Amino acid sequence: MTPRRDVAGTGVLLRFAVRRDRVRLPVWVLAGSALMWAQSTSNQSFYRTPAALAAYRASAGSNAASIAFSGPPVGLGTVAGTVAFEISGVLAVLAALMATSTVVRHTRADEEAGRTELLRAGRLGRHAPLLAATGVSAAACALLGAGIAAAAALSGLPGHGAVVLGAATASAGLVWTGATAVCAQLAGGARSVYGLVGGLLGVAFVVRALGDVTGDGASWASPLGWAQATHPWSDDRWWPLLLPLAAAALSLAGARALLDRRDLGAGFLQPRPGPATASRALGSPLGLAWRLQRGALLAWAVGVALLGLVYGGLAESVRTLLADNPDAQVFFRGSSTAELVDSYLGVTVRIAALLVTAYAVSATCRARTEEAAGRAEPLLAAAVGRARWLGSHLVVALGGATALLVLDGLATGASRAVATGRAGEVGRLTGAALGYVPAVWVAAGFAAALVGAVPAAAVPAAWTAFGGLLVVTLFADGFGWPAWVGDLSPLLRTPTVPAQAWSAAPLLALAAVAAGFLAVAFAAVRRRDVAAG
Amino acid sequence: MAAVIEVQGLVKSFGRTRALDGLDLEVAPGEVHGFLGPNGSGKSTTIRVLLGLLRADAGRTRLLGGDPWRDAVALHRRLAHVPGDVVLWPNLTGGEVIDLLGRLRGGADRRRVDELLERFDLDPRKKARTYSKGNRQKVALVAALASDAELLVLDEPTSGLDPIMEATFQSCVREVRAEGRTVLLSSHVLAEAEALCDRVSLIRRGRTVQTGSLAELRRLTRTSVTAETDRPVPGLADVPGVHGVRRTGGRVSFDVDSTHLDDALRPLVDAGLRSLTSAPPTLEELFLRQYGDELAAAGDLERLP
Repeated sequence: MTPRRDVAGTGVLLRFAVRRDRVRLPVWVLAGSALMWAQSTSNQSFYRTPAALAAYRASAGSNAASIAFSGPPVGLGTVAGTVAFEISGVLAVLAALMATSTVVRHTRADEEAGRTELLRAGRLGRHAPLLAATGVSAAACALLGAGIAAAAALSGLPGHGAVVLGAATASAGLVWTGATAVCAQLAGGARSVYGLVGGLLGVAFVVRALGDVTGDGASWASPLGWAQATHPWSDDRWWPLLLPLAAAALSLAGARALLDRRDLGAGFLQPRPGPATASRALGSPLGLAWRLQRGALLAWAVGVALLGLVYGGLAESVRTLLADNPDAQVFFRGSSTAELVDSYLGVTVRIAALLVTAYAVSATCRARTEEAAGRAEPLLAAAVGRARWLGSHLVVALGGATALLVLDGLATGASRAVATGRAGEVGRLTGAALGYVPAVWVAAGFAAALVGAVPAAAVPAAWTAFGGLLVVTLFADGFGWPAWVGDLSPLLRTPTVPAQAWSAAPLLALAAVAAGFLAVAFAAVRRRDVAAG
Repeated sequence: MAAVIEVQGLVKSFGRTRALDGLDLEVAPGEVHGFLGPNGSGKSTTIRVLLGLLRADAGRTRLLGGDPWRDAVALHRRLAHVPGDVVLWPNLTGGEVIDLLGRLRGGADRRRVDELLERFDLDPRKKARTYSKGNRQKVALVAALASDAELLVLDEPTSGLDPIMEATFQSCVREVRAEGRTVLLSSHVLAEAEALCDRVSLIRRGRTVQTGSLAELRRLTRTSVTAETDRPVPGLADVPGVHGVRRTGGRVSFDVDSTHLDDALRPLVDAGLRSLTSAPPTLEELFLRQYGDELAAAGDLERLP
């Protein structure tokens, strides 16, 4: 039994944590529910006919790339089954990310900032912060599960399966709540917790992917596999959920045992000493911006490359799938199968470009977050001008985005080249991806102009604008909105090569807009106060 | 020789708050100038205007003969800055930050960096996120002191240092002055200002209330005197400039305006002076006199260092 003194104050902290997360967590829940809704409605319109479903089952259900990406190919005989196949893995990862960020935020991030010390000096038990963090994370997982179940049922899928999928997603969140709680005791600091959990998540994903592709049961070794083992809308099994519940309970107990054996602010893995002197590269604002952002860029590069490989790998099954599905033919606009595949590839490159835009916006906003944290001041108080400082982050953002687009084209092209034996695919798709450079730069330029002109509001405004871009780009065509709405998206103004022909005029126009935004950014940042906070 | 820092009538507002309200400051070449005032009086805002991070609303500001806003980059090659709240990049080591800041300023002397690391007892291999406030401050101090800048702008540089490191800091500043360089030192640690500064400027609510050498400032205030005399001293309280006369046995203590010291001592001599101690006002007393009313009103008197 835990002495009462160890848990004193948990209730107060829990209410405090809920208050601090009153915006953050509902956003996660809404995002997950919206994703569920979008997947459900689009599959219901896509696979309306038995023929379309059969074609889907034949192609996606036997394609190793799509199984590795999505999960076990069960229940593909119903539309609801295709929804579970395509979305359940994504939702489990979403729940894992939400749980991890919530637990880290209320444990090690607070310790690092010195806030826990302030609280622990009061009448607060040693275990209270951990229990409050895991408590609020568990509650968020339950809400996310409920939101997903509601979205699935309301969008017209059978209710029982909807509840199973919601519960499975929530249970995945609980597993990663527990895993993060353990890692938070081991790691030396908040960032290393993310590193450890991210590594575990990667391993879990790979194990599940291999297990599902080979069908040898290895998926049972992966927490991501447990949620999908419920087989929503086909077998509707509840008993696999005992595994994540047991794992969560055990890891929380383990985390509490470890917590008793470590100091506040320290982990079991001590940080190793770093270099005593700076490398040659770390001698300029650009060197610093690269150093600060290279880790994130590398992670994006891995993600974009994987996405390109998977999208490219799926193109062959798309060929068979689309041939029998008139709805998809309308969506992808093509008459011959070759044209349909090109159209599919054009859409996948556009989706990758959308993700790269998110990278470009976040890398641009880094300039403002650095400034807000007070870390621009030491540079600007040395012999570094405003323009050079902002420019250093923009070089990383714009250059990084360009590199990511090239990488996406190379990866998609490479997997197409392997499948078709035509080496020319690599060049063709890399060219298609490069066509989005001006469009992505427009979005980054807009974010930069915000950083220059309205620093305090820049980060939320940039992400709001990106949200709008996302909605317009994904839905303007499908929902039949007026043409001017679609024209707001620079991505939709870019020709979808290889389905459409190259044309320089829209790209030059976009480049001019991007240049205009950048000019505003540099002009504005020279005229304003440098403001922390 | 022209002043290193010349500020006249500086005004800076944030929204409706007037942070600087006609502030004046003049720092001569080669001096250590103390910049003193209570929290929120505008010290850091002034420094950030001088660094070109904030744009002045009104007033004249010259730094090393240039305009701190327009010529920021050129001027910053000639100065080094230690901010009041040192924020570092959490995943860089202290050594990396020192090198980076040195290189951005145009290169630092490796030997001097190593020597300062030793004197400040700082481990440069630790990640910045693991440093305490004092150690973060040491990182910024080593980076600034290792430079050969003409002007050092130090904003409460020792608020996180222990007494031994404080002594190290003071000897470093004396070396800087001996090399003929100029230091602007904002501080609440009055003993530090008293030990280091040639001249000080006291500021309050965004205005300069007094400026001058410590001797000049003392002349404007009172000296406390305790004397032992053979006979009682009659009429001492009536002497102009004498305040708060207290008698205990054969001893008399009082405060006297420094300009009336002469008048106050004469009756003591006439009464058969046997011993005399007089203490010039400490900077702390100057400070309390200057701000005492305001601090007392805020109930903050006991919080002064």
